[in-house]
Amino acid sequence: MAFVKLVVFGFLALSVVYLCISLYSRSVRREKLEDEWDETRPNVTTDDARETFIAEGMELYENGMRRKLILLVFVVPPIVVMTIIFFVN
Amino acid sequence: MRNIKRGFWLAVFIIFGAWLNYLMPQQDIVRIVHTENKLQYVAGLQSLFYADVETGPNQDSTGRDLRLIATVRKASYLFGLIDAGTETMVYRNEDTGWIYPPYFKFDSADLHAEAAAASSTTEPYNWMVLTHYGWRIPFITVYPNAVAIRPAPNEDYRPFPWLNLIILSLLLAGALFVRAMWRQFRERTLARFRS
Repeated sequence: MAFVKLVVFGFLALSVVYLCISLYSRSVRREKLEDEWDETRPNVTTDDARETFIAEGMELYENGMRRKLILLVFVVPPIVVMTIIFFVN
Repeated sequence: MRNIKRGFWLAVFIIFGAWLNYLMPQQDIVRIVHTENKLQYVAGLQSLFYADVETGPNQDSTGRDLRLIATVRKASYLFGLIDAGTETMVYRNEDTGWIYPPYFKFDSADLHAEAAAASSTTEPYNWMVLTHYGWRIPFITVYPNAVAIRPAPNEDYRPFPWLNLIILSLLLAGALFVRAMWRQFRERTLARFRS
């Protein structure tokens, strides 16, 4: 029963962590794209072009490897637990 | 207001530090003099420190068979920097199960056999490194929980706490990451609502 509790609540906790990290990562990427635009093209003032540039960059991010790496949040803790079980027992 | 804030963070720091001190593995140099079982009733404040009833084989009872390892250990002050001769120490040997504390220990019977096999009451003494967590609190009959034993190379051997160093570094990294996340959230999301 305790094992089921660990799996269920562990999964819930890791889901919260995953959500937080993916929101954070996306936000950081968007900020970087904004800064890049503002630095390289300070004279282009149309909002449309800036929006398109950012949207394109975000699409690259959504399909990229980095976003999938966040899924490791669900992989690493079980491995750590299994390692502890192996060494303690 | 400022002092209240400071006091709050100081209290958080002290409580978290004490909790870590209770939870982190520590290694003692011991020689085992005796291993025994006794019937122990766990109630009230004690249940903070003992394993959950669900973990053990005594689910329908308030009493439990508690394995104890009586030892003589090398005492020290200031995290092992100052030697203080020897003193007696009694450890309990209890499964932790799946939840808390996260040691995932299920082999207390084997550990008890190892401890019995290593017991040493006559010279030359058989010094062992005993890994444990927890506190000895005599007033409410609480013992630190032994997790593992291994032979010590010699009597003056003092293991370096590598594992604790790694765990504390990871905790610090985690705390800094959470702070970075919070700052990003405040700067990008909350600021939008404020303006």
